[in-house]
Amino acid sequence: MSSKPLTNGTSEETLPSSSLPPIVGINFGNSYASIAVFTKEGLAECIANEDGERQIACAISFQGEEIYIGNQATHQLVKNSKNTITGFRNLLGKKFSEIPQSQSSKSAPVIQHPNIPDEPAYKVAVLQPAPAPLPQSTHNSSFNTPAASHAPTPRSEPVPAERILTVSEVTTLFIASLVESAENFLGKKVQGAVLTVPPSFSDSQKDALEKAATAAGVRVLQLLDEAAAAAVTSTSDIWAAELPHDRTQLIVDLGCSSLSLTLLSIRAGLAFVLASSETTEVSGLQIDDILIKFFAADFTKKTKTPLTVCPSSGVADERTEARLRLAIEHTKRTISASSGAATCSVESLKDGLDYTGAINRMRFDLLVRSVYASAAAAVSSLLVAAGIDAHLVDEIVYVGGAGCLPGLEDALLSSVSFREDVGTPFARGTVVGGGVGDPTTVLARGCAVQGALVAGIPEDEAHAELRKAYERSTEVNGVRATSKTVGVLVPGAGPDVDAALGGVWVPVVYNETALPARRAVRFDVELAEDAKKVALEVWEVTESIRVEKVLEAVPVEDDEDEEEPEEVEVRHREVKKDACFGVVLLDAKLGIQTKGKGKDAGKWFTTVEVQFIVESSGALKVDVKELGEGGATGSLTVAAPGS
Amino acid sequence: MATVLTLPITAPVLPKDYTPPVASSSGLSAPHPSGHRILLPVGHAHLNHLRLALHHAHDFESFDAHLDSEREAKEKLLAAAGGDEDDHGVGDEAEPADLLALDPKEWKKQDHYAVLGLSKFRYLATAEQIKIAHRKKVLKHHPDKKASSTPNETILGINVNQNTNDDAFFKCIQKAHEVLTNAEKRRQFDSVDPTFLDVEEDLTSITANDFKKKKLDFFKTFTPIFELYSRFSRTQPVPGLGKLDATKAEVEGFYDFWYNFDSWRSFEWWDKEVNEGSDSRDDKRYTEKKNKSERARRKKEDTAKLRSLVDLTLSLDPRIKLIKQQEKEAREAKKAAAQNGKPAKKTKAQEEEEKKRLEEEAKKKEEEEKAARAEAKKAKAAAANAAKKARRLARAEQEQA
Repeated sequence: MSSKPLTNGTSEETLPSSSLPPIVGINFGNSYASIAVFTKEGLAECIANEDGERQIACAISFQGEEIYIGNQATHQLVKNSKNTITGFRNLLGKKFSEIPQSQSSKSAPVIQHPNIPDEPAYKVAVLQPAPAPLPQSTHNSSFNTPAASHAPTPRSEPVPAERILTVSEVTTLFIASLVESAENFLGKKVQGAVLTVPPSFSDSQKDALEKAATAAGVRVLQLLDEAAAAAVTSTSDIWAAELPHDRTQLIVDLGCSSLSLTLLSIRAGLAFVLASSETTEVSGLQIDDILIKFFAADFTKKTKTPLTVCPSSGVADERTEARLRLAIEHTKRTISASSGAATCSVESLKDGLDYTGAINRMRFDLLVRSVYASAAAAVSSLLVAAGIDAHLVDEIVYVGGAGCLPGLEDALLSSVSFREDVGTPFARGTVVGGGVGDPTTVLARGCAVQGALVAGIPEDEAHAELRKAYERSTEVNGVRATSKTVGVLVPGAGPDVDAALGGVWVPVVYNETALPARRAVRFDVELAEDAKKVALEVWEVTESIRVEKVLEAVPVEDDEDEEEPEEVEVRHREVKKDACFGVVLLDAKLGIQTKGKGKDAGKWFTTVEVQFIVESSGALKVDVKELGEGGATGSLTVAAPGS
Repeated sequence: MATVLTLPITAPVLPKDYTPPVASSSGLSAPHPSGHRILLPVGHAHLNHLRLALHHAHDFESFDAHLDSEREAKEKLLAAAGGDEDDHGVGDEAEPADLLALDPKEWKKQDHYAVLGLSKFRYLATAEQIKIAHRKKVLKHHPDKKASSTPNETILGINVNQNTNDDAFFKCIQKAHEVLTNAEKRRQFDSVDPTFLDVEEDLTSITANDFKKKKLDFFKTFTPIFELYSRFSRTQPVPGLGKLDATKAEVEGFYDFWYNFDSWRSFEWWDKEVNEGSDSRDDKRYTEKKNKSERARRKKEDTAKLRSLVDLTLSLDPRIKLIKQQEKEAREAKKAAAQNGKPAKKTKAQEEEEKKRLEEEAKKKEEEEKAARAEAKKAKAAAANAAKKARRLARAEQEQA
């Protein structure tokens, strides 16, 4: 023990390991963006901007001398829609000729840039600040002094002007405001950012985004696919402890303007895409439209005022629709959070009449049934295209604002034959209340985590290759992957033994595992009292789903007449043995006899640890050892295929 | 190392008539070709995969070694940056579930050292260490910290905040700090420290019969006992039991000290609380009186116990016997010297040597005598034989004649 007195704080810098890098993760959607940073607790958290919004609308509005960015700008859509720019992300990096011209007139129209050829731009009316008064001349000379006049001096007023903004400039403005919010939260300068890009983005679009972000004064560490950002969050420790290491994950991203689905193979944290699809046929906008129509019809019923929306006719109705569109944001959030009545109230909706209406979750789900159904159909077709049975999907992750709707999950689970115990954030109860499974913040948090990881790679020669792997168009990430599951079969008979296999099947390296791979499992084996032998057969198997049609008697209601027994499909996971590579035989040395009075009393057990290493070539090495000092060991080597 | 998954399965017994299957294939089915699957460049697992591929040529063992060395370097860096230089060796102690579940209302029964994570120091903990340990625990268990860090558990689909009794352990910490920083209260607690009582019970249950029956080693048995009790001494340092070759003065000093042991041990900790509800002065006085007499009784018991222990030790001490014997011999030698007029210089060893020599001489003599006897006997027999022969010869001559 040292007798050195404790110093009461030092002026030295704190340890580098304890301070987290000022990195911001940005989920840059077409309609909404969110930002995440590392908080003092060391967790990536989605933070609110100065308006208290975690879901920041991608909108910029010009009103006189003011520029509104974010949710304030959406309010300008009601009366100042010509000067309000929305939906600019998807146009980033595109040529004017590539953009479909049937843009609705809900916000500022996209025009051809007057000077740059084939460049989309926005024209907004602004007020330029008045020219500053001329500096007072320092010496009093009679030459420069204008003659005294009787007319009053004109007041210096801002001058109306037109401003042309390219899509890239708009993006830069917007990203700069996001980064500023993050800097205000952190209290220090942001050193780098990771941004999401949709899977539909081409390379030129990614270039344009990177350029726009750099122009906003932030270093782009990595551009992440939305699925990749979701994968970071869902492979982190805090996500869900009960999910298996090796799992097949379906990411359902129902955003404002599109539905993108991604099927991922996650193997001990390593993820790659098995199949993906994106469609604009199903979107949050459709849900909005249905809800707006519902409230408009309710308004007409209550006030006898005619109102046509979606599409609306006339300027008054257009403004009404814009007002409703703003108001239902709140309604949708209420529906996501609770099943009770969600209100929608707008002052002076049309003709000076106020409106307050309510909808409960059940009614809402009925209304948007068609959207849910088409989302479920898209999921089914993706699974069919990937050749993977829905029963083999272990986890569903929801992303995007509409992903918060519990009705969507209900619809998916009822119309796609997922397993009953499929892991979802709803089942774990992590969606509401800012939990880890909150679909609106998953992407931003993933970006922040990834940003910290990339920023942690030292910037020296030795790691240059490593850093390069995080750039685009790199070939390091193309890997070989196993096509079938390999594992051990412990032969024997018993109550929990699959009779068709003749033993207990322990999968070790699953199919679709990136190579090289190393896995180790540990389990107990029962031993015979006289001959303490353990046999571990190494097999390659195919997992498939057997569909069995079972007639299930439906419980008969009292007043109903006899119902026909319903035919129900029951799915079983089936393992088919394909090839055997050999057997590892052990003479157990460390068997332990169970004491006590339980059902296992007097039986002998030992614990074995099995390690598989599959090389990139496909060569397999199996090491088996009995757990403990001086335990029996065994091994098996299988040569690479085709050698 | 690769993370080992522990599976909740128990494989069945190998059947008696088991015959291993014949390997039906010599290799795995061909993996998907390179580039068929594109890894998502995200996450720690991917970074490790890249490092394995780029820096270690897909060799798991070399990567493991690299990761180990990296971790060690990091730990060293942390240690060098003052990780544990300032904490006076307090360190981090494990907090078992039953410790965290302590009830602050039962604070009298809790182990204050364990609560503050000082169980390896106990009564030896310095004030500085207590301060540091308390600060560490507060940083970890302050209710303000806990509310945000512990996630809500979900039970049957309902979010339940399981931290209803959030600050219970924090209260325990505060109580422990209050007790250990107050010298008087700490003394009271140390007097009846639960771990001390356990050890005490273990060690002092020894009796003279036990000791003799089991043929225990004297020093191994009694040294820890006195080491244990030495903490209560007002005068420090305390003389230890010592070794077999201790001088007489040392041995005497030891017993002298322990017979006059000045202990600060007291038993206020076990006082009965005055009945909460009653504000009657008589009640209070009655309880106080009882407590006082109880304390005195316990103190008396404790002193008596220690005294009997010292008695026992004294009775079993081999050194005392040695000393007594030496004294006796010295006395006898003196006496003998006085009688013989010789200086009482002969020591026991010399005496023994003399005795041995005498014995040997006697033995030798005896042996010689024995040999001589045997010789005489032999000669006698030979003479008899010769006489017999002569007689026979004479008889034969007579017959022939």
